[in-house]
Amino acid sequence: MPDVGTDRAAGRWGEDSSLALRAVEVGYGERMVLQGLDLEVPRGRFTAVIGPNGCGKSTMLRTVARTLRPRAGEVLLDGRPLGSWRSREIARRIALLPQDPVVPEGITVRALVARGRHPHRSALRPRGPGDDEAISRALHATEVDDLAELPVAGLSGGQRQRVWIAMILAQDTEYVLLDEPTSFLDAAHQIDVLRLCQEMRAEGRTVLAVLHDLDQAARTADHLVVMRGGRIVASGAPGEVLDEELVRDVFSLRSRIIVDPVHGTPMVIPLSRDRGASA
Amino acid sequence: MRSRLVLVVLLAAILVAALATLAAGRLGVGPADLLDAARGQASTRTLFVLERLRGPRLLVAVGVGAAFGIAGSLFQTVTRNPLGSPDVIGLGAGAGAGMAMTTLLAPGSVPAPVGAVLGAGAAIALVHLSTGLGFASPARVIITGIGVSAMALALTQYVVAVALRDASSQLAGYLVGSLNSRGPEHVATIALALLLLCPLVALLAHDLRQMDLGDQLADALGARAVRTRSLAILLAVLLSAAAVSVSGPISFVALAAPHIARRVLAAPGPHLTASALVGALMMVLADLLVQQEGPLENLPVGVITAAVGGVYLGYLLIHAWRRADA
Repeated sequence: MPDVGTDRAAGRWGEDSSLALRAVEVGYGERMVLQGLDLEVPRGRFTAVIGPNGCGKSTMLRTVARTLRPRAGEVLLDGRPLGSWRSREIARRIALLPQDPVVPEGITVRALVARGRHPHRSALRPRGPGDDEAISRALHATEVDDLAELPVAGLSGGQRQRVWIAMILAQDTEYVLLDEPTSFLDAAHQIDVLRLCQEMRAEGRTVLAVLHDLDQAARTADHLVVMRGGRIVASGAPGEVLDEELVRDVFSLRSRIIVDPVHGTPMVIPLSRDRGASA
Repeated sequence: MRSRLVLVVLLAAILVAALATLAAGRLGVGPADLLDAARGQASTRTLFVLERLRGPRLLVAVGVGAAFGIAGSLFQTVTRNPLGSPDVIGLGAGAGAGMAMTTLLAPGSVPAPVGAVLGAGAAIALVHLSTGLGFASPARVIITGIGVSAMALALTQYVVAVALRDASSQLAGYLVGSLNSRGPEHVATIALALLLLCPLVALLAHDLRQMDLGDQLADALGARAVRTRSLAILLAVLLSAAAVSVSGPISFVALAAPHIARRVLAAPGPHLTASALVGALMMVLADLLVQQEGPLENLPVGVITAAVGGVYLGYLLIHAWRRADA
């Protein structure tokens, strides 16, 4: 794959930029999903968020992008609560690709990618500075240039996911949040998407992605955040975090962990469901 | 550039229909008379037709059609549903009921447009409360809206029947909408509403265009989905109420104009300007029909839009069901 943009040195983003969650509580109605969650998002790294279904991974991403508001605690961008930022300013710093985004009827690839420029435009300035360059760079980096004039609805799942990532790239943000970007893709297309994540990190962006596949997370991310029951139970380098005890406690799964002979990262061999542990 | 061409063609069509409206029939004011009027040499008869009879009526038709077109486009965009239109969900009927109640039961209490806004506001509040989910589920909004619309029409019939007894032409004005005997005050109301509200719609359009990506992505792009939707509905309520207050609850223009605009532009998304022009053209053509001698003469214009629009609504429903089955 072509480089996402060598013209851009890491450190293009402000030196003192930071993104953190402090004692964040989020709930839907009666049900509390995040219960006092603390997280310092590691800058310039590719962080994978893992955890069992319903542990609050998606909710955490949505809270960081302020599509959900916390009931208590706060999300701090550059040390300032997200609530004090204007929506467009946040959208110029943080991009979020939801798990199941809606494709607008009849939209072409180029038009969808151009949507990523929204926060750089305004009602009085319908074309933002650098629009064309950002859009063509995003189309090129995700290798969808040839599809640019086609309707998105007619694309395969793998192509469509690359188009969505192109939209996020066109948004040109320092922080990129992806909610299960590899689900529903075949193995080769999963690798495409993960490589794009690594390239984004290589050019200085901070990537935070919810991933389901533990081996994949360990292989591609350089930082793991493990969640259970609305809290973070472990975080650190994959080789240090992922062990048999953690897999049993968090996923209620008895497993053997071996070292991937090619990548040198941990691989989880599932053995049996652990009925004794509370999930 | 197709879109620019379509807008020019629409404008030309409105102009032609407007000239035809002025020129047709016994009291017609032809192009020669118009030129005289422009030079200040018009006959008294021409002036009377232009200033008192057909002129105001024509301008009201254009303004009302544009207001309904924009309101419909706003609604369909934020509900993400082709049937999410102010007339289908009871806004028009509610505005009509509010106007009937304030002008007929308590004459002189508040001006007609205020009654219309109150009625439309009550209708939308009722829809919001009855769905249980606010405006989040378009299907529920439409189903409860049809119920609210029926209730509002029944209320209007009752109020008009009690207050006016045998005045069937006035009943029609409140129930289906009419442009008969409109004057400069009506032109002023709809023109003022459009002048005040269109700039706000234009400002909102920027964020509105992201609504078809779903709330989550619209939020993530900084388009503030909930706020944008609320403002769009508020503007649609005000535009509909203003239109209803001068023409009565004319149906199907708000529903059909955005669809037709999308069809002729052959592009997705809300087309506010094109919807406004298509709405204006629909109204001028419908009113041209009822001003001609023959079986349709002097029918309330709302009867025409309802008859044409009913067929169109049926077509949309069948089309939607076919797609759902496929």
